[in-house]
Amino acid sequence: MVEQTLHSLSQFLPETTLTITFCISILAGLILRNKPKVIPVISFAGILLATVFAVRQMGSSQAVFSGMIVVDPFAVFFKLLVGSTAVIIFLFSIYSQEVQSTLKRLVEYSSLLVAMTLGMFLMAGAVNLLMMVLAIELTSLSSYILAGYTKEAPDSSEASLKYIIYGALSTGLMLYGISILFGLTGATDVYAINRSLAATSVNSVALLIAVLLIIAGFGYKISAVPFHFWTPDVYEGAPITITAFLSVASKAAGFAMLIRFFKISFIDFNLLAAHAGGVWGLLQGFEWNKILAILSVLTMTLGNLVAVWQNNLKRLLAYSSIAHAGYMLMGVVVLNDKGLAAVLVYFMVYLFMNLGAFYVVMLVANKVGSEDIDSYKGLGYRSPFISVAMVVFFISLAGLPPTAGFIGKLFLFAALLDARWVWLAVVGALNSVVSLYYYVRVVRNMFLRDPEGSTEPIRFSFPQMAILLLLLVPTLLFGLFYSPIVELANASVLMFGVR
Amino acid sequence: MLTEFGNVLVFLIIGAIFVAGGMIASWILRPHRPYPEKLASYECGEEPVGDAWVKFNIRFYVVALIFLIFDVEVVFLFPWALVYRQLGLFAFLEMAVFLVILLIGFAYVWVKGDLDWDKPKPEIPKIERRPSAMRASVKPQVESVTV
Repeated sequence: MVEQTLHSLSQFLPETTLTITFCISILAGLILRNKPKVIPVISFAGILLATVFAVRQMGSSQAVFSGMIVVDPFAVFFKLLVGSTAVIIFLFSIYSQEVQSTLKRLVEYSSLLVAMTLGMFLMAGAVNLLMMVLAIELTSLSSYILAGYTKEAPDSSEASLKYIIYGALSTGLMLYGISILFGLTGATDVYAINRSLAATSVNSVALLIAVLLIIAGFGYKISAVPFHFWTPDVYEGAPITITAFLSVASKAAGFAMLIRFFKISFIDFNLLAAHAGGVWGLLQGFEWNKILAILSVLTMTLGNLVAVWQNNLKRLLAYSSIAHAGYMLMGVVVLNDKGLAAVLVYFMVYLFMNLGAFYVVMLVANKVGSEDIDSYKGLGYRSPFISVAMVVFFISLAGLPPTAGFIGKLFLFAALLDARWVWLAVVGALNSVVSLYYYVRVVRNMFLRDPEGSTEPIRFSFPQMAILLLLLVPTLLFGLFYSPIVELANASVLMFGVR
Repeated sequence: MLTEFGNVLVFLIIGAIFVAGGMIASWILRPHRPYPEKLASYECGEEPVGDAWVKFNIRFYVVALIFLIFDVEVVFLFPWALVYRQLGLFAFLEMAVFLVILLIGFAYVWVKGDLDWDKPKPEIPKIERRPSAMRASVKPQVESVTV
């Protein structure tokens, strides 16, 4: 048992690094009380190191800690995604006025970001339902506090409170679903659940209720309609850096868990072996992908239609991120590895374009002091470079060539049409058209409207521009030269214990 | 034959009947003579003072949370102590790591002042002791009283 634990620890390096970083950050914050600016540097270095360790896990595939967590290409992919998002968020924080104006709480800010990253790393690898709940809770508890980080602002406290209430409810529902599933199958391990479902038939109504309740927990994490109510308020009230982190990393970790739970629990391994190309058969004839298809249509339609009416750019991006969760759910619905790879490609692309859009909003809010769409009037003349970058991010979010967003959508729709889900593809395409309207509305304000009030040019420093380029270049580059991300995605669909 | 969950269900039903049966039987048999003292809520023999729905100091919750963490720590220590002989040094190191992480949290709470209880600060009137000046101001008043 000792050897087993030691071996597990050797496969647990990224998470261990994050845990140690978290402890050191807090201790350093207590000791160096007069130099709070040192702490983010420590946390940043820790997250960077953890991401490097995650890179070194590439290609390995095994279960550790008596089957609680797995290290497989799928988990490593999401660890890299979350880790790089966290690194970029730390870079954002250097220039965030909301964060820098509360130097006294910088220790809590950076150490909780580390804790949140740790939770998401665990979410990426968890294969036991109890471990999944624990990982969700670790992530959520950190994000509740961070959402209310600027506690002087009333909407920030409101965001935090709303987040915690919705979070508690959805975790409760999910735990209830897990308890029903445990009653049906006698297991909390997804592999054991699969074996049990393959061996004996269970009451289909009870199974449906259990899965619906568990979907409530996952749906809250990925902000899918009808579990999305917290998203706009939290995204608007939280500091922009945290909003950006939640919109990418939290969603990615939620998707990782959702995909792993559904794929492994309900996949028919006999059918998988019989067919080539990674097509999943479903146990017990339980077509959970139809539930996800309905969820996906609701999510993208509501997200896009409500985003049209928003005047606050943070709220607009919140609804747009709800819509993007809907697009990505389409890739899970098709039940094959091609769809899964499309979701992974989409996430890589989404990382750059969504973080980029939030970064521009933050830079402009620092100078103009508002996130209103009206305050973007004439920005194209006052600060051309920033505005052009924003246009690229928005075109990419809308899914137009030659940007990376187009490639993401292309692979999703190709996978859908391949699996004969034509109606869902049509709904997705129509939604993309709607989304173009509200993205272009901002672009119109920037370039086709005269500035109101001040017409002074807005200048940004060189490092700020460098961070922007870090996000802008991949958004353009992956639109033209996409084979590396597609190859990475294809290599990352492999899960431990499947095939 | 009942399943294991069936046993639990039977236990729940019998438990509910047991409680409800006692309540209903005493409600039928007992005399009904209510008076204010009888209707007041029972607080260990003390006379109730005001409503129970008052605002509690938020520090109670903070202390309760901190207590909970260390309570759980102790719960973890018991099974550890049972298998300690078989695992030896390894178990010792594992528990040491666990305790160090908790201690960091404890240090954080301590330094941030969450263990200090905010005492109410009654306003004590200040007495400025300036004997000679006081005498100067008091004397004419005293004289005016005697006169």
